Amino acid sequence: MGGFLGGLAHPVLGPDHIAAMVAVGLWGAFLGAPAIYLLPVVFPLVMAAGGVLGILGVPLPGIEIGIASSAVILGLMVALALRPALWIAAVLVGLFAVFHGYAHGTELPAGADALAYSAGFVIATGMLHLCGIAFGLLARWPQGRLAVRAAGGAIAIAGLLFLGRLAV
Amino acid sequence: MRRALVATAFAFIAGPALAHPPPLGIPGFLGGLLHPAFVPAHLMAIAAFGILCGQHRVAWGIADLAAFAAGLAAGLGAIAVAYAPQWAGLALLVLALTSGVLAALAKPLPPFLGLALAAMTGMAVGLDSPPDTIKVDEANRMLAGTALGAVILFAVTRELSARLVQALARPWTRVGVRVLGSWIAASAALVLAMQLSR
Repeated sequence: MGGFLGGLAHPVLGPDHIAAMVAVGLWGAFLGAPAIYLLPVVFPLVMAAGGVLGILGVPLPGIEIGIASSAVILGLMVALALRPALWIAAVLVGLFAVFHGYAHGTELPAGADALAYSAGFVIATGMLHLCGIAFGLLARWPQGRLAVRAAGGAIAIAGLLFLGRLAV
Repeated sequence: MRRALVATAFAFIAGPALAHPPPLGIPGFLGGLLHPAFVPAHLMAIAAFGILCGQHRVAWGIADLAAFAAGLAAGLGAIAVAYAPQWAGLALLVLALTSGVLAALAKPLPPFLGLALAAMTGMAVGLDSPPDTIKVDEANRMLAGTALGAVILFAVTRELSARLVQALARPWTRVGVRVLGSWIAASAALVLAMQLSR
C-alpha cells in the first residue's frame, strides 16, 4: 500500500509507535497548558528533523531501543503523575521524537507519492497524539485521573515488553 | 507559424509535464482547475501559505492575494512561452516548508515578507504546472483552469484560516491552524531531504 493511505497506516501498524504517541498525548493533557498546546505543534517538526537524519543516512545508534524506551519513560511519567519543568518535558519528548522520526524517515518510499505518504504518516501520528490528549482530558476528574495514570502504567509495561523483545 | 512554435515549445517541455498528469485523467479547463488540489506539492504549498495569510489577514489585507495572483500569472506566462524549470517542484517543497514553519510558529511577520512569499508561491505553482498536452488550445484551457483553481484554493484556505484564528478566536482553533502548518512543514521537510539526498 503506497501513497497517502500507506503513510496513514504506517504508524498505526507499529504497536511501539502507537504506545509512545498516545503516551505523548496523555502526558501533554496531564501537564495542561501550555504543554497541551505546544506538543502537537512542536512534535511533528522535531520528528521531521529526525526523519531528515534517517533519510540522509546520518548514523544514529539505538533507534529501536530509543523507541521502546520512549513508551517506558513517557508511560512512567504519566503513571507517576510527574510534572517536570516545561523545558525538561519538551527536551524529553523531542529526543524521543527524533528516534521515531528517524525510523519513519528510513522507511519513506521513494517515488512520486512520497509527499502523500509522508503527509499520511504525519497526520496519523498527530491523530494518535489527539487520542492521547482526548483520553488525558479525563484527568480533570478524580476517577479519570486514576484511569489516565493506569493507562500510563499499561503503556510503560508495554514498553518493557518491547524492550524485552529487542533483548531476545 | 506562431501556433507551430508554441506547439514545438510544449513538445520540449513534455518531460517535466509527465511528472503529474491531469488529475483523475480529466483534460482541458476542468483538469487545470483541479490540478492544484490534486498534486500534493501544490496543495501543500498553497495550503501552508493560505494558513499563514489567514493568521496575518488583519495586517496584510488583500495584498497577499494580489501578489499570489501576480506571481501565478508570471509563472503560467513563463510556461506559455515554454519555460518550465525542473527546480519548480523543489521550490514548492521549500516554500511549503517555510510557510508551514512560519504558520506553526504563529509570530507576527512584516508585510513585505508575506508579499514576497505570496509572489514566490504563486510563481512556483505556475512554473510547476506545465499542461500535459501539446495541443495549444487545450494547453491554454488547462493553464486558465490552473490559474483559477490555484487562486480559489488559496482564497478558500486563507479565509478558513482567518475565520478559525480571528472569528472563532478560541485557543483550540488557533492551535489547530498551527498544527496543520507543522504537519505540512514536517511532510515537506522529509520529501525535500529525500529529493536532495538522491
